[in-house]
Formats: sequence, C-alpha cells, structure tokens
Amino acid sequence: MTIAARRPAFVPGRAFLLGTLGVAVALGVWSLLAVLLAGGGGVINRLPAPLVVVTKLVAYARADLVRDLAASLRVFAAGWLIGVAAATLAGLLLGRVNVLGRIFLPVIEAIRPVSSIAWVPLSIVWFGFGLTSKVFLVGLAVFLVVIVYAVDGSRRIPTDVSRTASMLGMSARQGFLHLILPGTLAEVLIGARVSLMSGWGTVIVAELVAADAGLGAHLISVQQSYDVAAVVATMICFGASGFAMNALFTIVERRLMPWRRIHARELDG
Amino acid sequence: MSGAALAFEDISHHYGAGPDRVDVLVHVTFDVPAGTVACVVGPSGCGKSTLLSLAAGLARPSAGAVRWDGREVKLGPNFDLGMAFQQPGLFPWLTVRQNVAIGLRTRGKAKAEALATADEFLGTVGLSEFLDAYPSQLSGGMAQRVGIARALALRPRLLLMDEPFAAVDAFTRIKLQQELKALLRRYAPTVVFVTHDVSEAIVLGDVIVVMSQRPAGVQRIIPVTREDRDRSSASYARKLAEALACLGVTSGMGGE
Amino acid sequence: MSRMQREERAPVARYRWLAAWRDRVLLPLVGILLVAIVWQAVVMLYRLPLVVLPEPWAVVRTLAGLLPTVAFWRDVGVSLYEFAAGYATGVVLGVAVGLLLGESRTFRLTASPVIEALRFIVPFAWIPLTVLWFGTSYTGKIVLVAYAVFFVMTVSTTRSIMQVDPTLTRIGTMLGMGRMALALFVHLRAAAPAIASAARAAAAVGWIAVVAAEYIGASAGLGVMITNAATSLQTPTVIAGMIAMGLIGATVSAVVGWLARTRLDYR
Repeated sequence: MTIAARRPAFVPGRAFLLGTLGVAVALGVWSLLAVLLAGGGGVINRLPAPLVVVTKLVAYARADLVRDLAASLRVFAAGWLIGVAAATLAGLLLGRVNVLGRIFLPVIEAIRPVSSIAWVPLSIVWFGFGLTSKVFLVGLAVFLVVIVYAVDGSRRIPTDVSRTASMLGMSARQGFLHLILPGTLAEVLIGARVSLMSGWGTVIVAELVAADAGLGAHLISVQQSYDVAAVVATMICFGASGFAMNALFTIVERRLMPWRRIHARELDG
Repeated sequence: MSGAALAFEDISHHYGAGPDRVDVLVHVTFDVPAGTVACVVGPSGCGKSTLLSLAAGLARPSAGAVRWDGREVKLGPNFDLGMAFQQPGLFPWLTVRQNVAIGLRTRGKAKAEALATADEFLGTVGLSEFLDAYPSQLSGGMAQRVGIARALALRPRLLLMDEPFAAVDAFTRIKLQQELKALLRRYAPTVVFVTHDVSEAIVLGDVIVVMSQRPAGVQRIIPVTREDRDRSSASYARKLAEALACLGVTSGMGGE
Repeated sequence: MSRMQREERAPVARYRWLAAWRDRVLLPLVGILLVAIVWQAVVMLYRLPLVVLPEPWAVVRTLAGLLPTVAFWRDVGVSLYEFAAGYATGVVLGVAVGLLLGESRTFRLTASPVIEALRFIVPFAWIPLTVLWFGTSYTGKIVLVAYAVFFVMTVSTTRSIMQVDPTLTRIGTMLGMGRMALALFVHLRAAAPAIASAARAAAAVGWIAVVAAEYIGASAGLGVMITNAATSLQTPTVIAGMIAMGLIGATVSAVVGWLARTRLDYR
C-alpha cells in the first residue's frame, strides 16, 4: 500500500520556470558585462563572454581535462579516505576512552579553526611539492572535519537501543560491533559528506601552491598566461566535479542507508 | 471607542483542494451587535480559530462574507482590530512596554505618546512593576496580560480573542476573566471570544455561539443574562447544562 | 562551545564555574603542554634539523622576536585591513540579499539554481581570477573575502528568515505592519541570533580566505610573510606565522561572537 503524496500547492513547473529565468538573467548580465568591458575600461578589463568560456571548456575537455582531473581526484581520494579512516579510529578511541578524550579533544578543537590553508607552507617544507604533501593536506582537512562527527557518533547511542542491548544480554564485544560501530559509522558518513567540499577545496589550494599537476596547477598556468577565459573554464570544471562528487555521494548514501532522510545541506561552507 | 456590528453571513471555508480538501466551516451565520461579547464554543478543531482569522482579514472566506461596520472585511491590516492569541506572541527582543507600544507606533503615534499609553494599559492589567522586563522573564499569566494590554491599547473597536486563557493555570484564569470583564465594560468594543471552556463563555459573554463538529455550522445561539454569570446561581448551572447538552455532553445526573 | 563539550556531564551547580574553568582553561593547557612535550621528544629522538621541525622553544623565541618588529605588524595590519573591508561588505550585502530571498519566494526560486551552481566553486577557486583582474593589490583580496562572506551570509540569512516563527508574523500583521515593516522589524530582528552566529562562522571563513589569497598572489600581508619564510626554509618563522594566523583568527571570531551575543541575542 502506497501513501499518496500531497500535491504541491502550486504547479511544479513554476519553480523550474523561475529557476531557468534566474540562470538566463545571470548569463545575460554576464554577457552584457563582457560586452561593456571589452573596450578595456575599468578594473575588470578582461571578462570573456560565456560563449568564449564554453569554447575554451570544450577545447580543454578535448585536451588535458581528463588527465588533470584524474590527478586531482587521485590526490583527493587518497587524502579523503585516509582522513575519514583516521578520524573514525581516532573518534572511536577518543570518544570511548574518557581519559584520552579529555586530554586530546581540546587540542583538536584548538587546531580545527586553523584551516588546512595554514598548513600548506609547512607541508611544503616537510614534504616538498609532491603528492605526499597534497595528500597530507587533504587528509588533515578531512580529518579535522570528520573527527567531530566520529566522536559524537561513538558516544551517542540512543538510550532505547542500549537498553534493548543490555536486556538481550550483549557482551562488550557484541555491543561494540552492533551498537557503537554502526552508530559511529552513521555519523562518520554525515561528516564525510560535509568534508567532501572542504577536502576538494583543499586539493585546489594545495595544487595552486604546488602547481605541478591537477586542475589547480592548470588553473595557475592559465592564469599566468593571462587566459581569462581558460581560467573561468577551469573554475567551472572544478565546480562541476564538486557537484558530481556530491551527487554521487548522495546516491551511494541512499543505497547504503535507505532509511535516512538525506539533508541536502547538512552544513554550509 | 464604541464598536460596530460584526456579521458573519453564510460563511463557508475550506483548506486545500481536490482530495486534500478539508471543509472547516459550513454556512455559518450570526451577528455580533455593537459593543457586545459573543463567546464561541465548540469541540476542538471545529474551526473556531478559522472564524477569527476570517474576521481579522487574515484570510478570505471560500464563500460568504464577513461584514464589519457594514462593509465587507478585506485582506490585510485592519486598524479597527485588536487580537489576542493563546500564545501571547510577544516580541522577545522588546521590553514589555515596547511590546505594547509597537502597535501604536505602527499606527503613527509618536514614540512618547505610544509609551505613555502602553504604561497606562499595563497599569490597568496590573503590570506596572514590569514595564522594562523582557518577555522571557515573565510567567505565562503575566505574558498573557501583556498580550491583552497590547490588544486593548490599540483601542480597537473590534476585539478578537482566540482562547487567550487556555494555556494558563486555573486560578490565574479566573482572575484574568474577571480583569477582562472589567476592561471590556470600560472600553466596550465588539468582541468575539473563542474558548473551549463553556463556563468561561457564560461568565464573559452576552451570547454563546455553540458550534458543531467539523465541518462546523452554528448549532445554537444562547443568550446569557446577568444572573447566569454568578457561578453560584442556579441559572448558571442551567445555562451550563444547556450549552454542554448542545455539545453532546450530558449532565450525568439522574437515570441514564 | 562544541558538540563534544556538550557531552560532558554537568557537575553540581555549585562547582559549575570550577568545571568551566577546567574545561576552558586547564584541559586545553594540558593538551598544549602534552603536544609541546611530544613535539620536543620527536625533534630530539629523530634529531630533526631546524629546517624540518624546530623545537617548540625555537618557535616561541621566533614569535617573540617577530612581535616587536614593525614589518610583522605591518603584514598583520595589511591582512586585517583586507579582511575587515571584505567582511563588512560581505556581511551587509549578504544579509540584505538573504533578507530579500527569505521574504520573497519568487526571488528565491529564481536565484536558487545560480546560487547552487556557484556554491560548488569554492572561494579558493576564485583566487587566480582575482589575481588576474586585480593583480596583487588589496582590492583583489577584499573582493575575495567579500565574496566568500557574502555567500555564507546570504545562505544563512535566507534560511534564518524562513525559519522565523509564523506567530510573530501574524502578530505583526494584526498590529498593522505592512510587508516591509514585517521584514525589517520583525523577521530580521527575530532571525538576528541565527544570523549573528552565521556571521561568526563567516568571520572564520573570511580570515582563511585572506591568508590563502595572499599565498597565491600578494605583495604584503601575513600570508606573504609565511610563504616567503617557507621558500627560504625558515621553518620556525613558518610555524610562528601559522600560530599567529590561528590566534588572530580565533580572536576575530571571538570578537564577532561577543559583539553578536551582547547586541543581538535576546534569548
């Protein structure tokens, strides 16, 4: 038996129409500015028209886009996985062992606001400009985001679930496996999604500084050759891939945990 | 500040459309003569609050019309109107006197005059010592008093009250009823007072409008006399029984 | 404070101030001390050269050495100036636009796709573009900070406005307020605490954006100082700079938070 969905109060098409209008207006303003500024007046004297950007985008796609994207994704994937894994372990440890938690959690709280950006120069000193450096930065950024969720998840067991467990006579090991671990992992998943954007952003900063490979490196190189259109095209690539990752993550999440309502925006920024 | 007549003319109202449509009111017709108090009672969810929303111009009736002072009520702010709700809804960032004064400011009164009027009405409801308190510091009964002072300070010709004493404890409620009665006698607006408490309706109202279950219509209009209001009188008990009988509640005494 | 600290079991009320002192001051100090000890141990055990990891004391000495210099404060001043200008612009514009989007469903639906699309282009990705347009001048950094802050504030303000208790709106209408009066005097005031905490988060974001922008293309500022030190492998200075960056960021956030709490929070 299906539950009939409530019909929306207005025609669904309205949102679509307005949204399209918004995009059209934005593109129109962009084109207008490009035309107005083409003469070379004012501060922003190089603004390519949308069409030019698209051309550049297509050219890039035919050329190095895949290679650069792959390089960036490799860095991101490695850093993200390491960060999530480390955060889960640390979260379990610090969350469940009270003494350790009391000592180290304040330290982590102090370090968290110092973004991964601050660590870039230090990372360069330590690891140079290579892959290790970038993976370290991404891992650190992701770790600092996810650790909070991991600690929360490891500590927060709904009382009725734990009461059921003790009623059923679960041993400590069983309790861990069936209660604590899933609870932690559920929260870690939420944190992992949040960390997607900060992790991806860290990749680009790391690549902007290191400038050896990846989307960020490409961004710097086209910037240095004053190719504004290519710069914008690369930015769009970056955004689009971020969007795709997010969407992919949502799909996987829905598959793995269909009973959760997925919040479109858990946390901003 | 004398009231004018309020008239509900064949009001029908529904929410939603198609299969989700909920009919709330059906063919509701009654008059509230100028300066009188009509107490509307009925089962929960029977649309009493909707009736007030329509009278306040917060929504337009699906069918029929509400007439105030001879003219049809339009959507939008009505400067003849004061309303009090179950939750007083005070602005938490304003002090008590600022809360009462703000309605007057909206109506174009100067700041000093608005505050003076606010102080006056707060004195009437017995809150002179709490003028500079914030809503978070008040008890439920006190906050409700502020809400009433705020509505009355507007010197409304039409006063709509939606179960204002429902969230207040029994002792405070009786006290507030008496205070309100005195205030209404003094300022004589036209009043529609919604309540689920029939005894409250008898004490406060000149007339009791008994509604039926949803979709609600008017079941009975029971006039109330002065003797009825004395809770210890026999006529009060009879009026109470009459009203409760309409609502499907038997007295529970004598062979059933 | 943080989600983690909320988990702490509250002791008897009498000793609550003692517990607060323990949580906010004592334990963090213990933590920092522990980190310093481990740090020192690592340096000594692995005989790490100064370039790789200086001893904690070397960093402290370097930081102390920086404090009296004019150059250091000039760099900090530049970064703070860029941050402040961008932050103020971003907050004002962000709240204004957020209010508009929160009040009007039409505008919200129209702007939504554009905002969603831009959301994925992280402020850092804009850095090369601002360098191209504005060179290494201050304007570029200000624009970047303003953009980052604007985004955070717009989204948060819109959400906060939409979550205002509808009872307050009803009361305002009953009192005779028109749409604009409702928006400005009721909705905005009611949403103020939430907007204020967003402003605090935005301050952190903005400060990070400034320093990041300075890494890429700038002539002066804290980020420049750090990057220069990194290129010349002056690690103690790098770490000192990072600490300075963290402390200033924390201070700015705390100031914004304090301002917000005392002025806007009516709870």
